[in-house]
Amino acid sequence: MHKCDLDISINKLSKIEGHADLDIKIRNGKAREVNLRVEENRRFYMQAVEGKPALAAPQMVSRICGTCSVAHLTCAIEAVEKALGVKSSEQTIIMRKLMMYSLMIRDHALHLYFFALPDIFGIDSILDLANNKKELIHEALHIKEAGNNLSNLIGGRAVHAPFEVVGGFVNMVDNKKVKPIVKELKSIRKYVLNLAEIFYQCQWELKRDTNFVALTTDDFSFLEGKICDSRGTCTMEKNYGKRLTKVVMPYSQAKGFEFEGSEYMVGSLSRLNLNQGSLREKTKKSMKKYLKLFPSDNIYLNNLAQAIEIMHSIDHSIELLENTEFKKEEIIKPKKQNGKGVGVVEAPRGTLYYSMEIKNGKIKKAGIATPTAQNLLNMREDLRELVSGVCQSANPKNQWEKIIKKQAERIIRAYDPCMSCASHFLKVNWK
Amino acid sequence: MAKKKKRVGIFSFTCDEGCSIFLVEIFNKKLAGWLEKIELVYFLSIKDHTDAKNMDIAVVEGSITSEEDKKRIENIRKNSKILIGMGSCAITGMPSCYRNNLNKEQLKEISGHLKKFKFLPKCMGIKEVVKLDGEVPGCPMDDKKFIEVFEKYI
Ligand code: SF4
Repeated sequence: MHKCDLDISINKLSKIEGHADLDIKIRNGKAREVNLRVEENRRFYMQAVEGKPALAAPQMVSRICGTCSVAHLTCAIEAVEKALGVKSSEQTIIMRKLMMYSLMIRDHALHLYFFALPDIFGIDSILDLANNKKELIHEALHIKEAGNNLSNLIGGRAVHAPFEVVGGFVNMVDNKKVKPIVKELKSIRKYVLNLAEIFYQCQWELKRDTNFVALTTDDFSFLEGKICDSRGTCTMEKNYGKRLTKVVMPYSQAKGFEFEGSEYMVGSLSRLNLNQGSLREKTKKSMKKYLKLFPSDNIYLNNLAQAIEIMHSIDHSIELLENTEFKKEEIIKPKKQNGKGVGVVEAPRGTLYYSMEIKNGKIKKAGIATPTAQNLLNMREDLRELVSGVCQSANPKNQWEKIIKKQAERIIRAYDPCMSCASHFLKVNWK
Repeated sequence: MAKKKKRVGIFSFTCDEGCSIFLVEIFNKKLAGWLEKIELVYFLSIKDHTDAKNMDIAVVEGSITSEEDKKRIENIRKNSKILIGMGSCAITGMPSCYRNNLNKEQLKEISGHLKKFKFLPKCMGIKEVVKLDGEVPGCPMDDKKFIEVFEKYI
């Protein structure tokens, strides 16, 4: 066998949310060191919210991530509500589900079309698609716009939604505007089928035995349920933090997490591996061929899973919108000023955890575990797996470096990582 | 002869990238029309091969918190005729510059990090570091105002 000793550096990984670099040191065919360095400058929101009014905190932490602000907002609201004993109305829960669905539609579409598709077609950016494929750009923008319009209808805006607050929504949904949104959502289903087919055709594979973790909900709504893993255990939301350990990553502005002492994966693939039975019937029918591939250990299938989730988000949104007559409701006020609460939601990239300790109506301590931070160690192990595979392969030795570089970027991209999120992590382990 | 397309770059500095995500939502309806007048030479992380030189318009978001940020924005300013700031971070630094308001104890807690990653003594809006030719306030920026400012220059 040839000796496989290489030092690989990728400066500024492209087509991911935010800024990260990667160094891999390979000796004797094994990745001795894998440094995935998050270069996103920290903004210290976990410190900044200390001492701020609890009711204002969710809008503040929404600014941790513009990409998935709805998930941060919704999750932080849940943590504050649990701490202060606020029980939201049925209509509020429906509206929060719709907000999460609008986020999934927009955000998964952005990732799949803008970040993942160029790899598959071997082009630099989606804007460089050949003329016969140009309609894909229109389909992408159309799907995103439908998600955007749904966000506007319910939350007032797609980024840092102003209507969603502790205790409810400050603005009432205009029932007259519901119908056109439903129509638009129905019109994009066919594009999602095209999209799923592209990822289904893609033959890339990297399989590794790891633990898949996700909040599993009865209706696949990303909002409320138990956190389960593929090793067969389940935890209540409030105990999730206790099962996580923070891990220092050298030279990085981020920290990683272990679940029960080892690396694990959160995200679309985990959700489908653990909970595909809860998808809408209509989604199951349209996506039958694709759903057969799950559960799977192949990390690349995370992208197909995202496409399936777009379809589910469309189908369930349509049902909710068609069956709800929105009414004006008062915001529910907190009954107390002190307490501790945990919020857990499934953000597009996986399980998002907030803990809030509130004293006299102000935040005493806030903690967070973002999906990308939780995935960092799993990515690292996948990259090790990639290296040993390539170093044992029949590819000519002078190609190894090129192959590893190319595939390393693809693997990282398959997770759809978000570095703005990764640079935020728990200050303390909540034991 | 067709008019030469304006060379446009979109850049992000320290922030949550909320304004650029919002810009991508504006693109849903506007991109097709704009691409007849502009060429995107730098587009966040969406393109690999980029050349951020001789730009007609650079659109920027975020705050300047590290030495690296400062070098980068000065370079972009030099390479672009027009610089448009998106969002309140670019104009005032807030909300991304919260660290300026932390108390002594909190500052002590983060001081190691600030030093290790060469953060500046103070976090600043882009406007405090270089001249902005156009400003779009809001968090995220106001979409109508952005369209108005951007279309004035293309
Ligand atoms: S102004 Fe707001 S939305 Fe825009 S980059 Fe700053 S924090 Fe994000």
